Amino acid sequence: MITVTGLTKHYGDRTAVDDLTFTVADGRVTGFVGPNGAGKSTTMRMMVGLTQPDAGEVRFGGVPYTNLRNPARLVGTVLDPRCMHPGHTARNHLRAMAALSDIPAARVDEVLGEVGLDSAADQRTGGFSLGMRQRLALAGALLGNPQVLILDEPSNGLDPDGIRWLRNHLTDFARTGGSVFVSSHLIGELAMFADDLVVVGGGKLLAAETVDAIAARQSATVVAETTQHAELATVLAGPGVCVDTDGDRLVIRGATKAAVSQLAFEHGIRLVGLSETAPSLEDTLLDMTGASAEFVSA
Amino acid sequence: MTTTIATIPWTDDDRTAVRTHADDLHAITAALRSEWIKLTSLRANAVILALTAFISAVIAGGLAATASASDPALPASELFIYPLPLVAMLAAVAGILMFTSEAQHGTLAVILAARPARWVLVTAKTVTAAGVGLALGIAGMAAGFAGAAIGGAELGGGSHLVTRALWASLYIVLAALIGLGVGMIVRHTAAAITGLLMWSFVVESLFAPLLPDAVLHLLPFSAGYRLLDAGSQFEAPVVIAHQLARPAYAAIFAGYALVSLAVGTVLLYRRDTN
Repeated sequence: MITVTGLTKHYGDRTAVDDLTFTVADGRVTGFVGPNGAGKSTTMRMMVGLTQPDAGEVRFGGVPYTNLRNPARLVGTVLDPRCMHPGHTARNHLRAMAALSDIPAARVDEVLGEVGLDSAADQRTGGFSLGMRQRLALAGALLGNPQVLILDEPSNGLDPDGIRWLRNHLTDFARTGGSVFVSSHLIGELAMFADDLVVVGGGKLLAAETVDAIAARQSATVVAETTQHAELATVLAGPGVCVDTDGDRLVIRGATKAAVSQLAFEHGIRLVGLSETAPSLEDTLLDMTGASAEFVSA
Repeated sequence: MTTTIATIPWTDDDRTAVRTHADDLHAITAALRSEWIKLTSLRANAVILALTAFISAVIAGGLAATASASDPALPASELFIYPLPLVAMLAAVAGILMFTSEAQHGTLAVILAARPARWVLVTAKTVTAAGVGLALGIAGMAAGFAGAAIGGAELGGGSHLVTRALWASLYIVLAALIGLGVGMIVRHTAAAITGLLMWSFVVESLFAPLLPDAVLHLLPFSAGYRLLDAGSQFEAPVVIAHQLARPAYAAIFAGYALVSLAVGTVLLYRRDTN
């Protein structure tokens, strides 16, 4: 289990990470989401000792990362797929990593096969596509046969086959007791395999719950088409119900389709159309992080 | 892609063991193995080694071949020293690249994530840089000697040859370590190389005549140059009226290596790694 407690980082006057506390459980995939500039990468770098926190601590099975005897045996990391010398071949890049962590050299070919790079093992990484670099970085993370994976946007640049493999691999990894902590801006992708989510915005923790709990935070939206807008809005008015007008339609939150239909029937209001849309996890998360987004599209 | 079963089943104790000082000492050998793999698998290092031998052979051979009747002909046992200031610069560049290429390509983050004890990395890189300096020094001296002989120089007496070669090796090794230290401080390849070359060839050469002897003794490359001995005709570019003994200049040059490595190490601990 990873325990993050009160993690804080300032860059000058700006607070990049603000008193972040959460846990990453064993046997689960935990997604780490938030808009650009939310502090995800800084948090991950602090977790593995590359960035010094101003306050707080991170423990892996009770031990701070920098105190581990051989971190690669417990934690595999991918923080930037570009982290490789362009003059090295894939195999030599991994051989150097394996030697550094006292990992048997035979493991190099195993992980190259695991990520599908065996045919490119002797090519220099300078000629690799982003997807190939991402696979090689993943191979490096898997090299020590770790129990924990910390991955920053690992699906960037992967082709659909690679993304599916990654999803299945991370799920299998967690099912065998491993912990996966993975950031991604592809929320829909994360929703397909993450068990838990840690949501950050502006460096602050917005939520740390199961995916189901976060998805349930927002109720479905009911759209009613009627010529009797005012009457329907009046009968729907009540605590927790929000009604907006959108042209000929009423957009209703906080009431179910069945309830709207029943009320309209009871009050003699004629409905031309009635539909219900469940909010996507993406909508929910965007609503949660919207106020804290540093960079917003026009 | 496929999923395979790993062949290295660690125990929980293996994974969460807390590192001790003994573990860090053991990690140095692992880091040295890793440095060796990187060193021997990069073409740039082979190019620097070949360039060193080529330049040394051409300079020493050229000097031997162009010696005129009016000049007393120098033997190969002296001429092989003449290319070494350039070899020292190549060694310093190799030292710089040993760190800056890791910083610029992001592999420094990979290394420090694998071995968080910064001093382990510094020790491994220092030993490796010293080895690289020694290899370049030996290649430069051997090629210079051969080049001078091919250029027509007499081989010369061997009485001072070993001492001369040992002092020269120390000069090149320390130059490589200064390069590594500067690389650790600056972290940017072009800036570090430009800064070092500007200091050596411009700042020291241009401003040296304006400085008193007491300060001249302390200029790094001027001091380093005085570790070289190639007979009475071999003069350093910076003239000092009353020179110190060679060990004193060795201590000054080594002091620069030590200080640059120490500052680089402190910065490695204090800076965040991207």
